[in-house]
Amino acid sequence: MTTLTQKSRPAGRSIPARRRGSVLSRQRRAGWWMIAPALLHSLVFITLPTLAAIGLAFTDYSFGGTPHFIGGGNFAELFGDVRFQAALKNTILYVIVVVPVSMAIALLVAIALNQKIRGLGAFRTAYYIPVVTATVAVGTVWLWIFNPGSGLANGVLSLLGLSPVGWLTDPGLALPSLMVVGIWQGLGSKMIIYLAALQGVSPQLVEAANLDGAGRWQVFRNVTWPAIAPAQFFVLITSIVGTFQVFDLVYVTTKGGPGLATNVLVFDVYNNAFQSLRLGYASAETVIMMILIGAFILIGRRLQGANARD
Amino acid sequence: MTSQDTRLTGRRITAAPPRSTDTATAASRARRPKKKITVGRVLLYVVLTAGAIAMIAPFLWMILTALKSELEVSTFRWLPGEWRFGNFVEAMQTAPFLRYFRNSLLIAVGETAVTLVICTMAGYVLSSIPIRGAKFFLGYFITLLMIPFQIILVPLFIIVKSIPLFGGNDLLGQGGTGWLNSWWGLIIPLAAAPLFTFLARQFYVSLPADLADAARMDGVGEFGIFLRIMTPLVKPALITIAVFQIEAAWNGFLWPLMITSSDDLRPLQLGLAIFSQNPASIQWPYLMAGTTLATLPMVLLFVFAQKRFVEGMASAGLKG
Repeated sequence: MTTLTQKSRPAGRSIPARRRGSVLSRQRRAGWWMIAPALLHSLVFITLPTLAAIGLAFTDYSFGGTPHFIGGGNFAELFGDVRFQAALKNTILYVIVVVPVSMAIALLVAIALNQKIRGLGAFRTAYYIPVVTATVAVGTVWLWIFNPGSGLANGVLSLLGLSPVGWLTDPGLALPSLMVVGIWQGLGSKMIIYLAALQGVSPQLVEAANLDGAGRWQVFRNVTWPAIAPAQFFVLITSIVGTFQVFDLVYVTTKGGPGLATNVLVFDVYNNAFQSLRLGYASAETVIMMILIGAFILIGRRLQGANARD
Repeated sequence: MTSQDTRLTGRRITAAPPRSTDTATAASRARRPKKKITVGRVLLYVVLTAGAIAMIAPFLWMILTALKSELEVSTFRWLPGEWRFGNFVEAMQTAPFLRYFRNSLLIAVGETAVTLVICTMAGYVLSSIPIRGAKFFLGYFITLLMIPFQIILVPLFIIVKSIPLFGGNDLLGQGGTGWLNSWWGLIIPLAAAPLFTFLARQFYVSLPADLADAARMDGVGEFGIFLRIMTPLVKPALITIAVFQIEAAWNGFLWPLMITSSDDLRPLQLGLAIFSQNPASIQWPYLMAGTTLATLPMVLLFVFAQKRFVEGMASAGLKG
């Protein structure tokens, strides 16, 4: 975690040594007061329930019953469970494709929409609209787009002289089709984080670089890219977490099918917890998911390169 | 604010890191790029427009479906045969939607206020104040971010039910209903998500430390530095947090469904469920009309918020 968190500023650099000690302790006292509400809130409403859920992972708890400790039984059963194996594979594939592609497109769109072009507000709103559109509407329209008979996707294929395919019904195509929707749906929120970060890029620096004749690519590489590094890190982590938790989309469109082709982890967790009412088993599945998310964040952080600041 | 403030902002400009200068001076001091119509610009517009159409298609479909008749929905056509604007009125009359609307608004405003206060303070501390264990706390909040809501749902419900001294509970949180079916329960547990603490922190961290030091030398208190010096500089971040939080609160479904039992507290999204109670006969036009009306405030909010982004950019330019 050290690469993630190297921020601890030498406080009071320019303050006379005589005063430094008291300033630092005053600063720390204020700091504790300011962080206390967040710590208390997260402890009560997130950490405690999470610890409870982790505890349940080692029990056979189901709704209404009393939990019995069964050790690693749930985990042993999970690794022999074909539904879980499919969910694991599908989710990992989904994350590996959707996260980098949607981040790259979102950054490109944000850069384009950070320039002085006509209709800027309209464009920004248009790209953000999928984020606020109700999931039922999104699901229905994509179901139509992927409809084998009259859908838009096959219409485009026939224009190109290709034969129609079953986008959501062909086991080999269903997951890639959902990936397209996932990328489409996640663009907007990533884009506005990038936009907000691009606002923080000092215009003076860009101006100065331009004056000195730096090309666009040089300005991007040496001014913009370092300046948005903290936002990049944020987008990376939230994308990995959010993409791992894909659920609504699957629930509305394919219900995990055909077969197990689009069975993803949270959908499987949901089925185990609220259909089969096996809360302990579902908790064990979530524990594995959390470990995976942590591993992906570490890997993603490495691939992104340890930028100068986080 | 004061002249002191202006001086500080001035400092900020000079304090900007000199990263780019070495590479920039190396290049030739030639022309500045000019705005003119080039192939690249035309291509940019074409690509952006195509993307924008793909983005808003489902939204348009939602509005158009809201104007169709019950019969028309079964076949897929974009335009309704007969434009039934009355659907909106009829949908609104099937339930007390004005009250649902007010409830959603209260929840969204409440959650956002709590989030803005708690998360900016925590984010600022994590980025700028060297308290013991700052690194650990950052890791802690990032870890919390990874926890899917679905899995903490049941334990969270039990905790909210056991809040001491509320809803007839005793000091140990037994005997009553706690925060169930209350504004507290609707607002507090889902506000102040670690996501926003982390987001705030990522924005504060990009501000120069010299700025706070300068204010400190001028005798500004720690809280004053946070509130009056640093926070105004991350306005785009505040707007982003507010937009995300309002939207999350507005679209919340599962949590209000679990903890409200009285209709007086129910938000809009629960109200909309009335049209799809029976999966076999979902009233699509009404459902879509209600959804459109529910989505519209969020779209307007974004239209307003993105203007503030532009303003932020303009004022940052003026400072130089």
